[in-house]
Amino acid sequence: MKLVHKLFGLLLLSSVLFSGCDDLSEINENPNGVEPLNAHPNLLMATVISESAKQVVSLGFGNVAGVMQHTQKDAWFSSHNDYDWGDQSWGGQYSILRNADLMQERAIDLELDFHEGVSMAMKAYMFALITDLWGPAPYLDAVAADEGALDQLLPAFDEQSVIYNGVLNDLEQASALFSAPQQSYDAIVGDADLFYGGDVASWQKFTNSLRLRYLMRISDKDPSKAKAGFESVAALPLILDPADDATMPYVGTTSDDSWPSNVLTDASGSSYRRIKMCATLVDKLQTLNDPRLAVWAQPIDVPLVVDPNAAPGTDEVVDGQRRLAPDVVEGQLVDTDPVYVGIPPSVSAIPSGYNLNPTPGQTSFNPHVSYLNELYTKAADPLLVARVASAAEVRFLLAEAAAKGWSVPGSAEEHYQEGIRASFTSWGLEESVEDYLSQPGVAFDGTVRQIIEQKWIASWTAAAEAWFDYRRTGFPQLEAGPIAKRDVLPVRFYYMQSELNINTSNAQAALDLLEETNFSQADGTNSAWSKPWLLQGTGKPW
Amino acid sequence: MRVLLLFCLSVLGLSLHAQSVQGTIVDESGDPIIGATILVVGTANGTVTDLDGNFDLSNVASGETLQFSYTGMQEQRVEVGDERTFSIILKSTLFLDEVVVTALGIKRDERSLGYSVGRVGGDNLNRVAQENVLNGIAGKVSGVQINSTGGAGSSVSMVIRGANSLNGDNQPLFVVDGVPIANTLNNVGQVGRDNRVDFGNAVADLNPDDIESVSILKGPSAAALYGSRAGNGVVLITTKSGQKADGLTVSINSNTVLDNPIRFLDFHTSYATGVRPYTPDNNPYPGGVLLIEEGSAAGIGPKLDQGYSAIQWNSPIGADGHPQLLPLESHPNNIRDFVQTGINSTNNISIANSNDLISYRASYTNLASRGLIPNSDFHKNYLSLSSAVNVNKNFVVSTNVNVGRSHSNNRPAGNRGSNPLEWAYKVSPHIDINDLKDYWVPGQEGIQQRSQAPGDYNNPWFLANEAINSFERDRLYGNVMGEWQITPKLRLMGRYSLDQFSEERETRIAPSYTREANGAYGLINLGRTESNADFLLTYTTDVNDFSVSASAGGNVLNQNGSSVRTATKERGSGLVIPGLFTLANIEPNNLDFSSTEFRKSIYSVYGLVNLAYKDIVYLDLTGRNDWSSTLPAENRSYFYPSASLSLLVNNMMELPSFDTWKIRAGWAQVGNDTDPYSLYPVLGNAGAWDGVTRLTQSGSLLTADLKPEISTSFEVGTDLAMFDDQFRLSATIYSVSNENQILGLALPQSSGFSSKVINAGKVSSRGWEASVGFTPIRRGALEWNLDFNLYRNRTRIDELTEGIDRFQLWRDAKGGAWTYVGEDIGDIYDAELITVTDPSSPYFGYPILDDEGSWQDIDDQDTRNKIGNFNPDFILGGQSSLTYKNITLSFTIDWRKGGQFVSQTYRYSESDLKTQRWLDKLIVYDGAREDLPQWLKDNEDEYITDGINIVGGPGDEFGGQPFDFGVVVNDGVFNPGVIAEYDDQGNITGYIENLGGPETKYIPYAANYPWSFTSASTFDADFLKLRDVSIGYRLPSQVTDRVGISRADISIYSRNVILWTKAGVGIDPENAFQPEGGTQGNGITFKQGIERYNVNPFVLPIGIRLNATF
Repeated sequence: MKLVHKLFGLLLLSSVLFSGCDDLSEINENPNGVEPLNAHPNLLMATVISESAKQVVSLGFGNVAGVMQHTQKDAWFSSHNDYDWGDQSWGGQYSILRNADLMQERAIDLELDFHEGVSMAMKAYMFALITDLWGPAPYLDAVAADEGALDQLLPAFDEQSVIYNGVLNDLEQASALFSAPQQSYDAIVGDADLFYGGDVASWQKFTNSLRLRYLMRISDKDPSKAKAGFESVAALPLILDPADDATMPYVGTTSDDSWPSNVLTDASGSSYRRIKMCATLVDKLQTLNDPRLAVWAQPIDVPLVVDPNAAPGTDEVVDGQRRLAPDVVEGQLVDTDPVYVGIPPSVSAIPSGYNLNPTPGQTSFNPHVSYLNELYTKAADPLLVARVASAAEVRFLLAEAAAKGWSVPGSAEEHYQEGIRASFTSWGLEESVEDYLSQPGVAFDGTVRQIIEQKWIASWTAAAEAWFDYRRTGFPQLEAGPIAKRDVLPVRFYYMQSELNINTSNAQAALDLLEETNFSQADGTNSAWSKPWLLQGTGKPW
Repeated sequence: MRVLLLFCLSVLGLSLHAQSVQGTIVDESGDPIIGATILVVGTANGTVTDLDGNFDLSNVASGETLQFSYTGMQEQRVEVGDERTFSIILKSTLFLDEVVVTALGIKRDERSLGYSVGRVGGDNLNRVAQENVLNGIAGKVSGVQINSTGGAGSSVSMVIRGANSLNGDNQPLFVVDGVPIANTLNNVGQVGRDNRVDFGNAVADLNPDDIESVSILKGPSAAALYGSRAGNGVVLITTKSGQKADGLTVSINSNTVLDNPIRFLDFHTSYATGVRPYTPDNNPYPGGVLLIEEGSAAGIGPKLDQGYSAIQWNSPIGADGHPQLLPLESHPNNIRDFVQTGINSTNNISIANSNDLISYRASYTNLASRGLIPNSDFHKNYLSLSSAVNVNKNFVVSTNVNVGRSHSNNRPAGNRGSNPLEWAYKVSPHIDINDLKDYWVPGQEGIQQRSQAPGDYNNPWFLANEAINSFERDRLYGNVMGEWQITPKLRLMGRYSLDQFSEERETRIAPSYTREANGAYGLINLGRTESNADFLLTYTTDVNDFSVSASAGGNVLNQNGSSVRTATKERGSGLVIPGLFTLANIEPNNLDFSSTEFRKSIYSVYGLVNLAYKDIVYLDLTGRNDWSSTLPAENRSYFYPSASLSLLVNNMMELPSFDTWKIRAGWAQVGNDTDPYSLYPVLGNAGAWDGVTRLTQSGSLLTADLKPEISTSFEVGTDLAMFDDQFRLSATIYSVSNENQILGLALPQSSGFSSKVINAGKVSSRGWEASVGFTPIRRGALEWNLDFNLYRNRTRIDELTEGIDRFQLWRDAKGGAWTYVGEDIGDIYDAELITVTDPSSPYFGYPILDDEGSWQDIDDQDTRNKIGNFNPDFILGGQSSLTYKNITLSFTIDWRKGGQFVSQTYRYSESDLKTQRWLDKLIVYDGAREDLPQWLKDNEDEYITDGINIVGGPGDEFGGQPFDFGVVVNDGVFNPGVIAEYDDQGNITGYIENLGGPETKYIPYAANYPWSFTSASTFDADFLKLRDVSIGYRLPSQVTDRVGISRADISIYSRNVILWTKAGVGIDPENAFQPEGGTQGNGITFKQGIERYNVNPFVLPIGIRLNATF
């Protein structure tokens, strides 16, 4: 009897103990998200497009705008003005590729041609950007660590020629995927396509336009392929009207989806305040009497006036002007332009003090230098877009091809003028364009130099393309400032350190593909002044 | 053993006829000991004390010796003379022979254990008030390292025997009366940009006054039975119960401590903000008026206290409509004026009683704390009830329930951002911080803060009062346990325990915080529950000289947790209507919301066998098998054994002078699982884009076929006590090898992923611990005990995986802490200064500067430039306790030797030129200018080749050279070294000296900070700290009896007084500990060896403790 009690007690206890036992595998099923293998490509499309488009602005309104002398910063400036770089991560680019890759995989599984085409086009664009910026880079084995083999964990770097070829082939295939009538595509969600709202024909124009870009890119290194390819693509649908531009507007709610210099999410306004116009661009625009300057820049608050009749030592603010005696400004860099003043490139270790700023410093207000237009304090605006590819660019590409004597529809002058017109239209200035085109200095003189200079102006806030053109053509002829890290402009980005360390042997092999120059100096081969294949033997840009 | 308190009258003619003896036996606190044994030595005649500690034993002859003993107490012997009444105080065993609580709550004699257990008694823990139990352990147990982020309510980290796992926080498992308590270090929450708040770890909810004792099971040998979570050791906490109470006992404790700030960071107060030290005669402002650039981050503007006047932030507008000049004066006491005296007050009352049927203890604790930063606080209210009921002779049911709330009306943010202390230090020394106390711009109250430069500078008072982070954590933990003595040899225990908390955090940031213009608001709700159901069946028997105890048991662990967050988006558009803190006041596009949940279960069975031969040999064997939900089905079950042996040498042979001598050895394995959902990835949310969903694939690759980590440890040690326990020694050496580590390995970004979880690698640690105790004086009522403990641990990465040569713990400040395979964890690396490396060059060792005269570096990742290690060489703890009658004076001291830390605070502040230290480091040359190059070369070891040097400074008194930019100011400095000349291939062809000669490149002082070098802000971590010092007095019983108090104590104390730091920069090296995720991959741990604005002032606390028992 007693034993029965005891046994019963034990049984009760153990049943209490194990009644709470659920299936362990079920417990470990993650309730917090979608498994990648079930993801619809539409869930990834906006991610890929928005992050890619943001790259255009973060480069072309960031350090590359400094290189191309569109802008200068006067605080935390050394990487923007002076090319003080060192370790440049491509993590952002390869993360976009990771999502684009999954999107492509899912599009193929679900047999969605439009989504496959978009993912291929965006992948090609991103790989091209990577090699444009860094030179040799992982391409064939890249973005495959999830497949797990060692050569996928540590991918080999490919020579630039391999990457440009692959990019061009992929763009050709993507273009073909976009060739069917709109209604034959399934599962298009217009909102997820931040460029074209799901319009397939527009994607084909975008894809073909990118092909022109990269064919021109390799024109010095592989002239026959470039010419033949360019001539055939030039006959296909292209972005020729600004309405077809591949642009993405900003949303303007958080710093992540707002224009970078906005003051909505940066209360101090310092990211707006510390970007100033660069004198190189200001002077060029003033020379050409270019109305775009007024859209991009703000007049200075207090002009400087050097009055030869002023008593020695005079330095006073009168009627909104700062009146100075000649002895006060002796030996000083002074720009007395009454309206627009840009900071010369790499001008000094205290750029905030330029033009006799009374309050130099990291958070300076400079009444004697032009800020960007107040437009750039906004978080979102129809004019504040990430411009991935534009009619202006395509027109200038066609103009350059025609000027080279390649067989493309239309003349160089026609495309040159249409390129300027497209840019003016984008900035709301279509009514001023005729006057502008007829001005001396703007009227077409038949040179590639003039085409590229106009392309450089039109690339405002998207300066990366201007940098790549500069490397290829040497135009516009820019000079490094007095305290720049080297005496000439850089031509590539540094490889990121973690790549050199983790992917050591492959990165080392890639370094061997670069050509050291006398500006590489203490950097060694991994220098912003070492030349990748695209520039080797071209003698450009220096 | 020694007789302590006895008075024997020695009478020569001893009476030989037997009589009875009587008396009382009490413990050190005067509480009666029930059941103590009294034995006439050499006979079977003996008895035990009753409920009041009284005894009466007949048939004791004069000249015979009485032996008084009780488990866990030092035995005493007294020869019987004429005096027949004895009043015996038994002291608790100082060293050996102590009963300790071991795994699963099993009480054991320490001498039978084959592994080392650290112990801290409740008295020792509570001699000075501690808001967090862990702080009371610091310095008292060897092998234990404690770090914290600050004062009351902060996270405290405890690492036992070094960090063994590369992918976790290495925190031990806390078990309170059998209830595993959730505790993590990951308690930093953030609503609003750069508003990082440490909400404190949950172990802070424990109330030190309720603690009877703490056992620290340091190694896997001790902890193997606790399984997976015990790999980092176990802290077993036993709370007070009513079982010792003799009748109704009421005890009151009151503890108040004032923290007086005494030492601050080494900042200068000589210059206003600005980038150049302009003077009224020499500045670029039109009209020659001096204007302070108060928005500048740099602190090297016009010099103060020179009789200058300038236009300042608070200049009144004069009759001419222009701001008026105000004198430029320094305000050296700004930080002292900003911080306040911290007050911590803990009050506790407990009631206990026991009788044959039931015993209980109920306790209420209130803690109220005011922080050093104005408007910061921390509160705790806890009720606990423990009770045991003897259902019948063989069945006892007991329960222990703790319920309470911890809360704070405001926990100030740390790190950079909304940290009030950061901004107090940023207030320019030309400003009196008291002038900022009115922190709203008049007429814009609630909209715009007033500061030296709105938009660029936050007002520290504004942050303290208008960036509010509050929380409430309600917690319930406890257990119900039944113990059934089925037969005299068979015993069954069953228990259900629960730990549950819910926490709500709320952040309200007013508009005009510089990083959230329109303010921020958010609510975060966290919930967590862990339940354990376990049983243990134990069979005990004796066979001849052998005794055997065998047990078998099982445990079911279920954990679940959730978190829900609703807040304004970070760096978003803030609130619609200023100052209205509701979720409805957030514009929908600006709303950040998320929810996550997790579940985890582990099922376990285990068994253990203890074998003893006489009192000579003890052998313990254990085995445990776990089934964890976090591992794939095929690897889910894992078994791990342990064995330990203890030999009592003093019982094997006659050893004069030895009281005890034990030799022990232990070997154990512990398996460890991982976090839930570590096998398969899910897509993350990248945040909607204008209402369109954006998902993203994680950059961390998971591994579906994870195996459990297995850590194998071995330890040997010895414990001995000699000369009546006046010399005590305990020493252990150990090694732990941790295999199959589940860790995130960094991948090259080009692989598309940033890290991959692997199941490889081997990390081993080795170390030793020693403690030595002396009793230099033991004479009558005077006793002085000295105890020292010392330890050293090193952890090495033996293997990782193919192609991977290092593991990164953190990377920051252009350097970082990573470890190469085959080397020890903790090394800190930095970029390397480029210097002339040709030994035959006259410039060998000189920095090679760039064309502008700036230093050049080889990136930290490209070189192996080790500049330190964040681990100490050793930590020596010392405790002294001096007792004379009713007075006890005791102190604990810690000395850390060796190691380094990186100070981000100094890095930021020195790049802003705000510290005195940086000015003091400048090389000032006052000789003839043309002799300068030679003077530098003559002293090249000191001024050129030893790294970063700067010649000159801001102004003539530092030898600053004229630098022309707009205005000529003598703030030009240069970096001694050479500038290289290159040929077309980029080879160096020669050097130009940059030593003050004509070709020297001058740079304005403000533009010359070596930002690329971690070493510029790396400091030695050595320190000497007075953990606690107290003087206590027990009121004589004649006094207390008269007022009906059975016992009353008063003590005055201080604690955590930093006596000395080698660095001398006002930073506590124990706070070099950054509350952010650290390790590569997805690991979460605090960053060791680096701090960022974790810089509370040093304090000199004064505390008073009162205790009365009725």
